[in-house]
Amino acid sequence: MFLKKKTRTMVINGREVHLRPEKFYWSDFFMALPAVLILILITYYPVAELIRISFTDWRLTSREYDYVGWKNWIWLFTAKTSLRYLTNSLRVTFIYTIGNILIDLGIGLLLAHLFNHLTKPYSFMRALIFMPRYIAMSSCGIIFLWMLNTDYGVINKMLEWVGVKNHINWLGDDNLALVSILMLTGWHGVGYCMMIYLSALLGISRDYYEASSLDGATGLQQFRYITLPLLSPTTLFLFITTFISSMKVYQSVDVMTGGGPRQKTEVMVYYIYRLAFDDNRLDRASVVALLFFVVLLVITASTLRITNKNVHYEA
Amino acid sequence: MQATTRKTALPPRVRHTVGITVRTILAVLVTVIMVFPLYWLLATSLKTEAEVMSSTITFWPKVPQWVNFAYVVNKVPFFRYMLNTAVVTALQMTSELLLGVLAAYAFSKGKFHGKHFFFIVVLGAMMIPIQVTFIPLYIVIARVGLMNTYWGVWIAGCVSSYAIFLLRQAFMTVDDSYLEAARVDGMGKLGVLFRIMVPMCKPTMITVGLTSFMGGWNNYFWPKVIVKVQNMYVLTVGVQRLRTSYGGEITNNYHQIMAGVLLSIIPVFIVFALFQKHMLSGFTKAAMK
Repeated sequence: MFLKKKTRTMVINGREVHLRPEKFYWSDFFMALPAVLILILITYYPVAELIRISFTDWRLTSREYDYVGWKNWIWLFTAKTSLRYLTNSLRVTFIYTIGNILIDLGIGLLLAHLFNHLTKPYSFMRALIFMPRYIAMSSCGIIFLWMLNTDYGVINKMLEWVGVKNHINWLGDDNLALVSILMLTGWHGVGYCMMIYLSALLGISRDYYEASSLDGATGLQQFRYITLPLLSPTTLFLFITTFISSMKVYQSVDVMTGGGPRQKTEVMVYYIYRLAFDDNRLDRASVVALLFFVVLLVITASTLRITNKNVHYEA
Repeated sequence: MQATTRKTALPPRVRHTVGITVRTILAVLVTVIMVFPLYWLLATSLKTEAEVMSSTITFWPKVPQWVNFAYVVNKVPFFRYMLNTAVVTALQMTSELLLGVLAAYAFSKGKFHGKHFFFIVVLGAMMIPIQVTFIPLYIVIARVGLMNTYWGVWIAGCVSSYAIFLLRQAFMTVDDSYLEAARVDGMGKLGVLFRIMVPMCKPTMITVGLTSFMGGWNNYFWPKVIVKVQNMYVLTVGVQRLRTSYGGEITNNYHQIMAGVLLSIIPVFIVFALFQKHMLSGFTKAAMK
């Protein structure tokens, strides 16, 4: 049944022609197989493993483990320490994500307008702004760590010029630590958003602007009623991709603050990593990792639903 | 109202020139701010310790201290880090492209049952990031003894569903008549794929190759999890250890750290300079799909 050959017929120029049956090419199948198998092995299988580990008491240091039922799940939702760290990491992750989206998309859109000029010098400047994205986040983190250094950092020294005499402890302050990370990731990612927005801007027909300026629309009105709606597919694309990548933030936190001060920058992935490799609790880390996975799935699914409803696709 | 008064106050041509000037000044200013961290990286890497620790800003060192680079290279096995990174990146690029091209061909031109289902499986993998799966992967890799090896670092990124997706999109645009013509001339399936489809989709191949290179070279999370021996560190991890190179204490030897960072990103700059056009156009193209 799997390889059943059906003869299909078709009428061409009034004559009935027998076509060769729909074929199953083993060669095609085997070309797809390695990639699919490896993907199942390195992504789907680990998720199943995660579920299994979440019902054990597996420590990083031991090879033996027992099944303990729902213990870890109960720990996750009832234990005081767990709840505090979990809600904290969720909150930090969401604040970071929202901040990062606002910075990347907001400034990216502004820069796209500013650099919307098709001359050589401008394209050179665009390339310069785009460049940070290709440098490893961990390396960028060290550069910012140095620039934000309390005693010798260039940013504090420059702030002296404008009268801020007390050196700011950027990475040690409860609120500023996350701001510092947002500065780093904003610098790193804004050029990409600018380029994507720019290519979308170039795709908008000039006719809309000419017609509306004949009708007496001001620049701001044009932006509000023409540019923004026509950019909405692009905005949505950037929103989804930035959202998901921000949720997975780890490198910048690890390099800049290590989750501190007092867990104020401990994002989800960092928390999972800490549970697994600092506390040696693979079981608890798995539970949190699964929860994180569910959060990611829900967000992806709901944003995809919104896509189909509220976006203007005509441009 | 305000707009009209301004219009009458200045002739249009003057307004235009003023607009252009303001815009250019703003653009240059933004560019300077964005480039400043990279400039600061370069400037710091050439400073003396006294210049790094001084209370005033030294924008450019009096005498460039090339010795900082020599120091980094001697203090830590820097070229070993670079070799490790290069090997892992090369492995990853090769497997991503090779397996990606094969799978993309099967999903675009191939005929087999379950094609749609398998493609959904590939796309679904995009939703499961390494940050979710790293614990079981770590356990498996440790079990089979691949900790601290190139293979261990490579395995987590050896196939990219994103690459398969992009290549499939490109292959679908190739008209079937090319393939039929080649088949009639007696070319095998692999011949058609590598001699006709791959060359025809060169821009996408370059985009995928570059993404893969950047992903491999800048990878941090997984190598950090899987590599615990200094000799097997990749650059991103090794450079971090420069901060604790004086007996584990976090230090302010930033002139040396910056020298290390700069050395580690030079290959990226070279690739960026060579492929700048492809990168800018390729990535916007990828985004539009």
